[in-house]
Amino acid sequence: MGVGILASRAIRPASRLVRSQPSNLFLRTIVSKPELQSPEAAAVSQPEPPKNQILPPRNPVGGARVHFTNAEDAIEVFVDGYAVKVPKGFTVLQACEVAGVDIPRFCYHSRLSIAGNCRMCLVEVEKSPKPVASCAMPALPGMKIKTDTPIAKKAREGVMEFLLMNHPLDCPICDQGGECDLQDQSMAFGSDRGRFTEMKRSVVDKNLGPLVKTVMTRCIQCTRCVRFASEVAGVQDLGMLGRGSGEEIGTYVEKLMTSELSGNVIDICPVGALTSKPFAFKARNWELKGTETIDVSDAVGSNIRVDSRGPEVMRIIPRLNEDINEEWISDKTRFSYDGLKRQRLSDPMIRDSDGRFKAVSWRDALAVVGDIIHQVKPDEIVGIAGQLSDAESMMVLKDFVNRMGSDNVWCEGTAVGVDADLRYSYLMNSSISGLENADVFLLVGTQPRVEAAMVNARICKTVRASNAKVAYIGPPADFNYDCKHLGTGPDTLKEIAEGRHPFCSALKNAKNPAIIVGAGLFNRTDKDAILAAVESIAQANNVVRPDWNGLNYLLLYAAQAAALDLGLIQQSAKALESAKFVYLMGADDVDVDKIPKDAFVVYQGHHGDKAVYRANVILPASAFTEKEGTYENTEGFTQQTVPAVPTVGDARDDWKIVRALSEVSGVNLPYNSIEGVRSRIKSVAPNLVHTDEREPAAFGPSLKPECKETMSTTPFKPVVENFYMTNAITRASKIMAQCSAVLLKK
Amino acid sequence: EEKKRFSIQRLNKHQMAAPFTLRKIGVPPNSANLTEARRRVFDFFRAACRSIPTIMDIYNLQDVVAPSQLRFTISAQIRNNAHVTDPKVIDLLLFKGMEELTDIVDHAKQRHHIIGQYVVGEGLVQNTGSKDQGKSDFLKNFYTSNYF
Repeated sequence: MGVGILASRAIRPASRLVRSQPSNLFLRTIVSKPELQSPEAAAVSQPEPPKNQILPPRNPVGGARVHFTNAEDAIEVFVDGYAVKVPKGFTVLQACEVAGVDIPRFCYHSRLSIAGNCRMCLVEVEKSPKPVASCAMPALPGMKIKTDTPIAKKAREGVMEFLLMNHPLDCPICDQGGECDLQDQSMAFGSDRGRFTEMKRSVVDKNLGPLVKTVMTRCIQCTRCVRFASEVAGVQDLGMLGRGSGEEIGTYVEKLMTSELSGNVIDICPVGALTSKPFAFKARNWELKGTETIDVSDAVGSNIRVDSRGPEVMRIIPRLNEDINEEWISDKTRFSYDGLKRQRLSDPMIRDSDGRFKAVSWRDALAVVGDIIHQVKPDEIVGIAGQLSDAESMMVLKDFVNRMGSDNVWCEGTAVGVDADLRYSYLMNSSISGLENADVFLLVGTQPRVEAAMVNARICKTVRASNAKVAYIGPPADFNYDCKHLGTGPDTLKEIAEGRHPFCSALKNAKNPAIIVGAGLFNRTDKDAILAAVESIAQANNVVRPDWNGLNYLLLYAAQAAALDLGLIQQSAKALESAKFVYLMGADDVDVDKIPKDAFVVYQGHHGDKAVYRANVILPASAFTEKEGTYENTEGFTQQTVPAVPTVGDARDDWKIVRALSEVSGVNLPYNSIEGVRSRIKSVAPNLVHTDEREPAAFGPSLKPECKETMSTTPFKPVVENFYMTNAITRASKIMAQCSAVLLKK
Repeated sequence: EEKKRFSIQRLNKHQMAAPFTLRKIGVPPNSANLTEARRRVFDFFRAACRSIPTIMDIYNLQDVVAPSQLRFTISAQIRNNAHVTDPKVIDLLLFKGMEELTDIVDHAKQRHHIIGQYVVGEGLVQNTGSKDQGKSDFLKNFYTSNYF
C-alpha cells in the first residue's frame, strides 16, 4: 500500500513537482542509493576509519576475568579494531566478550557444549567469504573480527526474521514477556518489519511434569534444553525429533522430567517454550522485586534471588556463584516457595486445659514460659535447634540455656557423640568447586543426588569433563553418571580399609582422590569405628595432603555446620528422656514420642508442622525469606539471607524471641541488637562473622585419638526418603506434594 | 464555672454571630524584642490555664485527668520550644498555640482529640501502667513489632 500513492505521485511529470516543491513538502520521490541495495555495497561505501586511532579502553562483558592457563599461549585478535589478548582455545564469541562486545546468541550457553544452530552470533571476519558463527569458530592469531558492519547487521536481521516467521504471536500471554531473549534481541538487532504472509506452523505441547510448562509452538529449536539435560543433569530425557520446520523437542516416549535439576531448563530456554508451571500467569517480571539471598533447603547454600510482589514470594531464581552452585538450583529450592504461604504460625498460642490452642499476646505467652522455666531443675531443660535455624538464633539459644544452668542444647541431626572439636570432621574439606579437580570419588553412605543436588551436579560435571571414576558404598540408588556399586555396608568399608578390595588400586593410582562421607552416618552407634576406617583409607591413599584435601563430609541441613561451629552438640543420650522443659526452635525432625508426657514443650517456628502438635506454647517465628540470618554451608562458606518479604502476622525473628524470653525469665544476656549477637558469635566462632568467605579447617586427621570400637554389620540406610519433602517448608508446599506424588521414582 | 464562661463570652459578644467565636485576646503579630515575646508567652500560658476548667467541663474530663496534669502538659509543650530566640518565630508559635486553644475552647474539637493529644501522649498514661515499668527498651519494642 505504501508504494502506491507516493510512487504514483513521483511518476507524475517532473515539472509539476519542481514547481510545487516548496509548498508540497510532504511529497518526495522514492530514491534508492547503491549503498542501500546490498550490504556488500554498503560496506564498500563506508569511509575507512583513520589508522592508528587511539581507542578507548574496554572491559570484558559483565566484568568477567580472563584466566590464562598458559601465559605463553595468548593469542592476539582484533575486535572492531581493538586489539585483545585471549587464551589459545577461545572462540571468536569469547574473544569479543573479552573485548567488551556482547554478541547476540540463542543457542550458545557458556556452560553447555557448542551447537551453532541458531546463527544469530554471525560476525564478519576479514578475508572470510561469508560471515562466521562466532560461537563455534576458534579465534586464530591475527584475526580481524568486525561485529558492527552492515554485513553482520544484515545477517542478524535476517536470522531474526527467520526465527520470528514461525513464532506465534503469544507475547501478551507468554510468561517470558519482559525477560525474553527473543523480544530483547529483536528490538536491538531485528528489522522493523517482516515479510511473512503464510500460515505459521504449530507444534503439540509435551507433558514434562508438574514443574515445567511447555508451549512447544514457541520453541526456536536452539537445543539448549537438550544439551543441559544430557550434560549437566546427566539424564538423556530430551531430544530433537524430525527435521527442518517439523523439528520438535520432546521426550519421544511419554516420559516426565524426573531429574532434580529439571527446573533449570526454565532459565535456560531463551523463549517462552519452557516456563515454570507454578509461576504460570502469576506475575510479570517488572512488577517483582528481586532480593538476593541464600537457600536453606539443604546444606549447600545455593545463591538465589527471591522475586516478591508485596508480601508474597512469587518465584525463586538462581544467582551466579561459581564456587557453590554455578547457575543452577535444585527443584526443591526453586519450587518450595509456596509452602511459605500455608500452615504459617502467626500468633503466640497457649494450649488450654481442654487441649485446644488459644491465641494470646506476646506478653502473656512469654510470661507463662518464663514462669514455668523457673519451676524446673536446670538439668531438665533441653533446647533443640531446627534444621533451618540461623547462627544468630542458635547462639542466643545456647547462651540462654547455658545461663539457666543446663548444657543440653543441640541441633537436630547431630546424634550423641558427635564432637565439634576439629572442624575437618564435619566439613567438605576440598570445597565444592575443588571437587572438580578430583579424579576418583568414593561415596560412603551418602546419596548426593537427594541430599545435596548441587554437589551431585559438580560430581557429574567432573565425571563428564575428566572421566573421573565414582564408586559408592550404600543402598543401591540411581545416579546420573556412571558409578560402581561396591557394597551396602561397613563390611565393604572394612575391606577397602584393609586393602583387600579391588577398588583400592584405583584409589592408590589416583592423583586427587576424594572421599565423601554422608552426615547420616553420624547417627549410627558405631560411628566412631566407621569414621576411623574412613580416615585410615584417607591416610593409606594420600587423600589428605598440603595441596589437596579430599576427605569430605556432606552435611544434610543448612543449620548443621553453624551449629557445630557454635558448639551445639548433644552430650548426654538421656537428656531428652528426662527433660521437663523442652524448647524446640524449629525442630520438626525430633522424635516426639521420646519427649516425656509431662514435659512442658515450647515450639518456636514458622510452620505448624509435626512438633507443634506436642507443644504447650507456640511462639511464631520468621522464615528464611523474612529474616537476616547467617548460614554456613557444608564446605564452611558463610553466607547471609536477606529479608525479602515482611513477617507474617505477629511473628518475630528467632533470636529476638529467645532474647525477650531470657529477659522475662530474669536472665540478662549482654546484647540486645543483632550487632551485639554477632559480636558474641565473633568471640565463639569468628568465621561465622566473615560473610562470603570460606574458612577451611585448620587441623587434619592426625590429631584424632585412636578408636577401639568395632563396626556393626547393619548396612547403610538412605537418609532422605522423599527428596521433595525434607523440611517444614517443603512439607507444607503444594507443588512439592505434586512432585512427590508424580515424579518420585518408585 | 458558669460565670467564667459567661464572662469570656461577653468579651466576644460582638462576634457571636459567627458559629465559632474568635478570641481577640490574640497575639498581635509583632513583638519588638525577646522580652516582649516572653511576656506574650506568659500571657498565653495564663490564658490557657484559666480556660482549663472550661475545657474540663466541655469535654467531661473530670475522671480522666486532673487540672494539674493539664497544666503540666501545656507547660511541657511550651518548654519544648524554650530554645527559640527569634521573636518572630515565637510570635508565630504563639499564634498557632492561640489558634489551638481557641479551637478547644470553642468546642471545635471532640473528646477523643483532647484525650489523644493532651492526656494520653507517648509517655503520659503508659508510664503510669504497672506492666511496663521495669522493662527495657528492647522488650518494649519487641512487644510492639518485629522491626526495630
